[in-house]
Amino acid sequence: MIFFKPNAKKIALTGIVFLLSFTAVLAQDGKQLFAANCQTCHSLTKDLTGPALAGVTERGPWGDRKNLHAWVHNPAAFMANNAYAKGLQAKFGSVMPSFPQLAEKDIDAIIDYVMTPPAQPTGGEATAGGQAAAEEEASNKNAIIFGIISIILALIALILMQVNSGLKKLSDDKENIVRPEPVPFYRNKVYIAMFALVLFVVGGYLVGKGAINLGRQKGYQPDQPIAFSHKVHAGVNQINCLYCHGNAWESKHAAIPSMNVCMNCHKAISTYEKGPKLYHPDGEEINGTNEIAKLYKYANYTAGQPWDASKAKPVEWVKIHNLPDHVFFSHAQHVNAGKVQCQTCHGNIQEMDVVKQQAELSMGWCINCHRETKVNFNDKADGSGNKFYSIYEKFHNDLKSGKMDSVTVKDIGGLECQKCHY
Amino acid sequence: MKKLLIVTSILIAGTAMIGCGGAEGNDPGRIYVPDMAFSRAYETYGYNNIGDYQHLKDKGINYTATPVAGTIARGDVAAYPYPGTDTGYVQAKAYRNPLDTVSLSKDQMTEAERIYLVNCAICHGPKLDGNGPLWKDGNGPYPAAPRNLMDAYTKALADGQIYHVIMYGKGQMGSYASQLKPMQRWMVVKYIRSKQGPATDTAAAKAAATPGTPSQAASTTTSK
Repeated sequence: MIFFKPNAKKIALTGIVFLLSFTAVLAQDGKQLFAANCQTCHSLTKDLTGPALAGVTERGPWGDRKNLHAWVHNPAAFMANNAYAKGLQAKFGSVMPSFPQLAEKDIDAIIDYVMTPPAQPTGGEATAGGQAAAEEEASNKNAIIFGIISIILALIALILMQVNSGLKKLSDDKENIVRPEPVPFYRNKVYIAMFALVLFVVGGYLVGKGAINLGRQKGYQPDQPIAFSHKVHAGVNQINCLYCHGNAWESKHAAIPSMNVCMNCHKAISTYEKGPKLYHPDGEEINGTNEIAKLYKYANYTAGQPWDASKAKPVEWVKIHNLPDHVFFSHAQHVNAGKVQCQTCHGNIQEMDVVKQQAELSMGWCINCHRETKVNFNDKADGSGNKFYSIYEKFHNDLKSGKMDSVTVKDIGGLECQKCHY
Repeated sequence: MKKLLIVTSILIAGTAMIGCGGAEGNDPGRIYVPDMAFSRAYETYGYNNIGDYQHLKDKGINYTATPVAGTIARGDVAAYPYPGTDTGYVQAKAYRNPLDTVSLSKDQMTEAERIYLVNCAICHGPKLDGNGPLWKDGNGPYPAAPRNLMDAYTKALADGQIYHVIMYGKGQMGSYASQLKPMQRWMVVKYIRSKQGPATDTAAAKAAATPGTPSQAASTTTSK
């Protein structure tokens, strides 16, 4: 029965789709026409460059198909003596181009398609985020369980020791052996020495670790003014890192995108519906649409109206990856010249809802990478390989003669103090 | 007594050290010698720091400044003369592509392709078919269908008009002036042309002649 239920749903759904496809033979054709001619500016449910088209025949003069035909064939002429169309122009700031090539039956097909409510997409992508959270919870639980077990074992050991000494005393009493009064443990030199040693080792380790961590921010995961999810943008929607952080290609800073870069897409994308569910690190669910509304507040934008970029205010994002002033670092050198992947230093950003600093960004970490990373020196016949390094003539010769098998960053000066500290 | 004092001070110092290091969640951790950690010179995005930065920020001074109006960078192309209006869009038809007599080298073409794939392909698709990951046949988050750059309409556009659209945006598309430098925009135009195939004079003429595509004349009053 349990297995049957979801199947029953599926069958019912297929049935509905089947029925719909029968009634919508005309609309199918209309869909193609709509896709080819209209959907660059019109959506069914949303005001874009032009108004949303769902329910269009219930508005203004559009109840009469003849008006619609006239409008599509020559909007400018129709508008001249129709107040409603003039109002549309005032609202959207431009007039629709004419489509004289659409026959009247084509227009009818498009309108029929537009007036058929689209089948609702079925939900059910919510599990992925929940799973990750559940896994983390499980690992937390394990740690707690191990802790409890060790405490119980330690208690048992203590009790056994007490029992042991008690029994020994009893047997001593029975056999009339007189021993000196036992020294209490806090005066026992062995205990004190052991305790001092443990304190020294553990304390020293913790103090050393704490001191080394001064000025490092691994694990820093601040809340941002808008709960921007890199997972949705760079992961699900495959937006290239350089689309927003284009300066990483040619400047020291990777650059926080300005408001108009956000609004390039978000002028049209005003709701968050199709992606996976978003979660704050503390497990709270985040409403994506609300976060986009926050963006609109900064941008001073009302959906469906023209946007004046000069009235926008910048979002004060919190900078996560900080280097101290006594270190020079340039993104261009690494991303453009060296062709290092963003993820090498920043971790799998495309899987993070909230970005967390993954690397230590310490000197040892930098140097280690400079020692290990091979520079793309390939002198291949086809001329591939990184031209940036063509000036290192000696290395090229050594590579050719087989004296070196690869060149690492350290060979081209990656360990020189003055490269980063000056 | 003195011994006790020494022991306690060591303990306190140790605990302080342990407590200081490490960042987690909203806590950025601690730094030592702030003189070396924070720049005294004004740095891009330096506002997070203290002192002068806060002072400048309160005055509304940000160090992500735009170039002075009317200036161009050395070696850059002359400023584009037309405004971002419908009339500007029509005027753009006459604007010459500074690269139209130059044929790009293989490396330059690779760079043009990179710029296209980073900035444009997300909507217009890696194949220029108007089906990028944000549209995905209507299954992506973007509500409007991006222009198919291989269709007759785009082929019939003048180079200057494509440049105009990149610079000011059109319809739902926003301005890419902040992301692409003038020469990069022309390189994208060149890349699109190279993908569209050899100069499609006949196809363009046909498209303009057929009433099929929204003709250039119609665009005078519209912004499709």
